[in-house]
Amino acid sequence: MSRLALHAFSRGTVRQVRRETPDTFTLVLDLGERRTPADFMPGQFNMLYVFGVGEVPISVASSRREKLLMHTVRSVGTVTSLLTKLSVGESIGVRGPFGRGWPVAEADGKQLLIIAGGLGLPPLRPVIEEAIAKPGRIAGVKILYGARTPDDLIYTHEYPTWQGADGCDLHLTVDRGNGAWRGNVGVVTTLFPKAGIDPGNAIAFICGPELMLKFSILELLKMGVPAEKIFISLERNMSCASGTCGHCQLGPLFICRDGPVFSYPRVKDFFPKEGI
Amino acid sequence: MHFAAAKGSLNGLILNLQRQGFTVVGPSLAEGVVRLKELKGAGDLASGVVDIQGPGSYVLGGESASVFASVNGPDSPKMYLHPGEVELSRLVDKGSGVEPVSVFRSDKKYAFFGIRPCDLRGVEVMDRTMLMPGFEDPIYSALRHDSIFIVANCTRAGENCFCASMGTGPAAESGYDVALTELPQKLLYDIPERSMGLFQGIELRPATEEELHEGEEMVRRTRERMGRTISAKDPARRMYAALDSRVWEKAAERCLACANCTMVCPTCFCNTIVDRTDLRDASVSRVRVWDSCLSKDFVYSAGGNPRQDRISRYRQFVMHKFAYWPDEFGTYGCVGCGRCITWCPVGIDITDTVNGVLKDLHDSANKLEAGPVV
Repeated sequence: MSRLALHAFSRGTVRQVRRETPDTFTLVLDLGERRTPADFMPGQFNMLYVFGVGEVPISVASSRREKLLMHTVRSVGTVTSLLTKLSVGESIGVRGPFGRGWPVAEADGKQLLIIAGGLGLPPLRPVIEEAIAKPGRIAGVKILYGARTPDDLIYTHEYPTWQGADGCDLHLTVDRGNGAWRGNVGVVTTLFPKAGIDPGNAIAFICGPELMLKFSILELLKMGVPAEKIFISLERNMSCASGTCGHCQLGPLFICRDGPVFSYPRVKDFFPKEGI
Repeated sequence: MHFAAAKGSLNGLILNLQRQGFTVVGPSLAEGVVRLKELKGAGDLASGVVDIQGPGSYVLGGESASVFASVNGPDSPKMYLHPGEVELSRLVDKGSGVEPVSVFRSDKKYAFFGIRPCDLRGVEVMDRTMLMPGFEDPIYSALRHDSIFIVANCTRAGENCFCASMGTGPAAESGYDVALTELPQKLLYDIPERSMGLFQGIELRPATEEELHEGEEMVRRTRERMGRTISAKDPARRMYAALDSRVWEKAAERCLACANCTMVCPTCFCNTIVDRTDLRDASVSRVRVWDSCLSKDFVYSAGGNPRQDRISRYRQFVMHKFAYWPDEFGTYGCVGCGRCITWCPVGIDITDTVNGVLKDLHDSANKLEAGPVV
């Protein structure tokens, strides 16, 4: 990334807005001819800018194989609520990509555990897409995904493809079921014993709320997955996305520059720890 | 090379710097405080002004025959190189999308004149963050580029100074373009070969052994009279072990979370980008402003606020300087200038906090060694 690019935007024109849940939408963005999703590594993020309002860091949800860039946004604050109200044809500013993504090459020959909670799934979607596209390289993909309720599950239209892919299986859980829900009820770790995890050969990529990360890590360690095979993606407030604004500091680490994906041993002194 | 010259040489040096296109910035009396202001000539320097500093206090008192009698005020080169407010770009929405109508540019080059060794080191510390390879900040880079440093070694220690503990003073050891030491009747200049051009037309003569010795003695006495100290030589690793110390709570009890400490700190770089809209032309100004880890919403995000209480925010400020910075950037984030002590409205003393935390660690280690009483 060149110096000037740190503060320069690409124009992202909205080509499609897909409603995932009542408050969560996937924006499909066209960055023009010069930039394609191939420039964005799985696990990296962009700063999305709404003119005159501000920027938010949002993970890249598209894989490098897709034609257009994708971002999944939940309406929470001022900027995200405007992002989720965009219409096809409107445009936003896109600054990025930033950060270090998932160590996808390290998953070669391993059993890849994709563990996601709620809106932790989007940064893992490109990993899933790329893994199932090359089934021979990885010794199985296990997607373990939890949401608060069945209505909060995102990317539901992609589940049949993931389920049907060679060596890939999808395990879903919700904190609270509803009348139609026949699946697992409980936190995401309740899926672990049922998923056929091979601790000695597993590599885990985890993203979700901090508590979910904490308990997933504990459970994996207990099962015998080595700490250095556990990778997590962390979230903090970000303003510059280039290691100079200080907002995303976690101990000696800048999440935007050194992360957002970290191996567990790299952050274990500071995560999870109260008030760091 | 070491030279001696009359004190009158300062004016010629300032004029030479201006002739070479530098904006000369140095200690100047303004609003009852010694600030870093643009100097037209040596007459603008805060000559003879003595600052008396204490925790939460700054007063001017007494008179001195020295030109560089004051230690340091609230300003550091940070306010020029990483300004408190700077417009990154101005954007307009042309219907077809957002277009920048202007982006940040600067053709200024600064000569920091008569700044202290701690502040020179402060800039070097700031460089590690703002000029990290691959992450160079374009604004800082443009402002910092070509700036030069005429450092005044300290011949008087301020009440809140602890540069000797941090290894940043009282004399500059490297990184300066000119270093001067003020003796009672004259100035000693340490001028590297590349800076000789700044002294055109200025009467210099090689300094004598006696003069150099006198200068060294003044610096040595300053080191001995340092107002404050950090009790351990290299506390970084031990500070990590102290994250749970009760001393943080005690120190933060009085903290107002006003962020003064981070504003006056020469190495605090934290900032936020804000959008300012202009109703007249529907343009948006993207402005970067200083921010502070002491502010409650500094780390707030959709995922929550990891530093809800003042204790964790104050701890972040101190830990960053004394533990995280060495790991991130290979240098301490604190240069021992003492500003955070002076400008804290309730006089919280960072040396007390660090020494307290280290003592607490030492005491608990001793308790462990002694073992339980059977």
